[in-house]
Amino acid sequence: FVSHQVEILDWKTKKQLCFLDKVEPNATIREIRLMFHKLYPRWYPARQSIKLDPKGKSLRDEEILQHLPVGTTATLYFKDLGPQIGWTTVFLIEYTGPLFIYFLFYFRMPFVYGLDERFTSSPHPVVNLACICHSFHYIKRLIETVFVHRFSHGTMPLRNIVKNCLYYWGFAAWLAYYINHPLYTPPSYGKKQIYFAVIMFLLCEAGNFSIHVALSDLRRNGSKTRKIPYPTKNPFTWLFFFVSCPNYTYEVGTWISFTIMTQCVPVGLFTLLCFIQMTIWAKDKHYTYLREFKDYPSLRMPIIPFLL
Amino acid sequence: HPDIAITDNVLHFKAQGHGAKGDNIYEFQIEFLEPVEPKPVCRVTQRQLNITVQKKESNWWERLTKQEKRPLFLAPDFDRWLDESDAEMELKEKEEEKINKMKIESRVPKDPFKHLKKGYLVMYNLVQFLGFSWIFVNMTVRLFILGKDSFYDTFHTIADMMYFCQTLALMEIMNSLIGLVRSPLIPAVMQVFGRNFILFVVLGSLEEMQSKPVVFFVFYFWSIIELFRYPYYMLSCIGIEWKPLTWLRYTTWIPLYPLGGLAEAVCIIQSIPIFSETGKYSLGLPNPLNVTIQFSFLLQIYLIALFLGVFVNFRHLYKQRKQHLGPKKRKMK
Repeated sequence: FVSHQVEILDWKTKKQLCFLDKVEPNATIREIRLMFHKLYPRWYPARQSIKLDPKGKSLRDEEILQHLPVGTTATLYFKDLGPQIGWTTVFLIEYTGPLFIYFLFYFRMPFVYGLDERFTSSPHPVVNLACICHSFHYIKRLIETVFVHRFSHGTMPLRNIVKNCLYYWGFAAWLAYYINHPLYTPPSYGKKQIYFAVIMFLLCEAGNFSIHVALSDLRRNGSKTRKIPYPTKNPFTWLFFFVSCPNYTYEVGTWISFTIMTQCVPVGLFTLLCFIQMTIWAKDKHYTYLREFKDYPSLRMPIIPFLL
Repeated sequence: HPDIAITDNVLHFKAQGHGAKGDNIYEFQIEFLEPVEPKPVCRVTQRQLNITVQKKESNWWERLTKQEKRPLFLAPDFDRWLDESDAEMELKEKEEEKINKMKIESRVPKDPFKHLKKGYLVMYNLVQFLGFSWIFVNMTVRLFILGKDSFYDTFHTIADMMYFCQTLALMEIMNSLIGLVRSPLIPAVMQVFGRNFILFVVLGSLEEMQSKPVVFFVFYFWSIIELFRYPYYMLSCIGIEWKPLTWLRYTTWIPLYPLGGLAEAVCIIQSIPIFSETGKYSLGLPNPLNVTIQFSFLLQIYLIALFLGVFVNFRHLYKQRKQHLGPKKRKMK
């Protein structure tokens, strides 16, 4: 039994920030983070990026000291990631915003459409339907955040929340403005268009929920290792045969159906941006899967079956 | 430590060495046939000592030493021996290598359309140069004759030619796209679209804008810049470089480009109220798309983009200028 020593240097200045004596060889990085936090209370573990190389990737909590290429005296580098915020908190804030902002426009608050139109309601049933669907979507997302999702990274930098909120809340306001406007024009193909859109919406929301449940089941025991998701008995999960990230596929489907339902250009624009963003995320995930698993199903595409 | 010196054209050498007969002091002297530089260069290794002596005058010697008989201890190293005929042969070899290289280079497939492409580019640049010269001369003459009054009907007289030149400028994008010209695509696209937006949309579609004095300045700045740019391109296509033109092309933009940008900005600012009032290119509610498009708002965004674009482009052009003009300056020093 040889006890190790760990010195932690600042990644930029290379100044020694701390020297840990008598560290057990099977200590995890999580434990080292806790020890570092004791010496520097303002740098809580989630904020610490500990790496082997000043320009390298951050080490994961589960890594064990003696398995690292360091020898008995390890030199690690520390980088401050800035104030962090938990993913759950982020999602709760991001999704509650659009929910309530939409209501401001639906109920026609006086400062939105002027005093003459305050608190009036629209003669078009589709406007009420749109409100129900929009709210349903975000309530579902909030429920998933609290009960379903299991996050692989605990936190994200604080400044991300400002950026994300501006985007989600801003777009929610913009599209809610036009849908609930007194001069709103209902869809050109009338009831056929609306019914089609509603059915597509419900199917996609059910699909999206099924996928989230399936993904969360993969991590049931609190494990943080990645596993290949497979189709289950639920027909909605059968999209896994064709696509790596069917949750994104269904999400885009939801927004396309909402665009058809409301026939509103801002909604279409939001759908387009969602599609672009989710394609980027899906491709990322897809290539990560391909790299990690040699036996990854070859039929699968990132987000659209056979195409993208 | 060897004792090496040259005095009166005689090389003196004295050193301690370990030889076959043990440690001894070795020395010799050599008097050179013709004058040599008094400072020899010495390099010592484990097994030998290299002394390099430089001739005062570069020419071929009959022999090394002044005395006619070669000293017994002196033996030529024929690996390094060089006499007149040898040197000539070396030169000839070098020349042959050069000719071979050129032959290999010319074996690379020649572009059959090379002359056609060059001809087209020269024609394009020439036509543009003539067009903008016509615009510039016309505007200058009218300025002298009519003074400030020429500002108000600049558009009326010049627009057709400007439409022609700027429509033709779309070819510049095509040239960059198909690789005919080595310049990057995006700056070309930005320049052509930026100018055409002002010309066709902001000025062309609003009669009220066409009689404003700012039009004179926009057209004038555009044409002066092109007066230098197109001839420079024409000459560089043929492979000629006229240094004063290069200097002008890479210097005149410094006042002209920002001024041109300023004139365009004034154009947009003046047009915003007109677009607001007339609602041209704008879409209001109710409409089946359920969106409102306010062209005047889009113009305001465009204005910000214009300032940013001019700023970024200015830095890029300045770097380009340093590349093309800089190194020569250093040589002159």
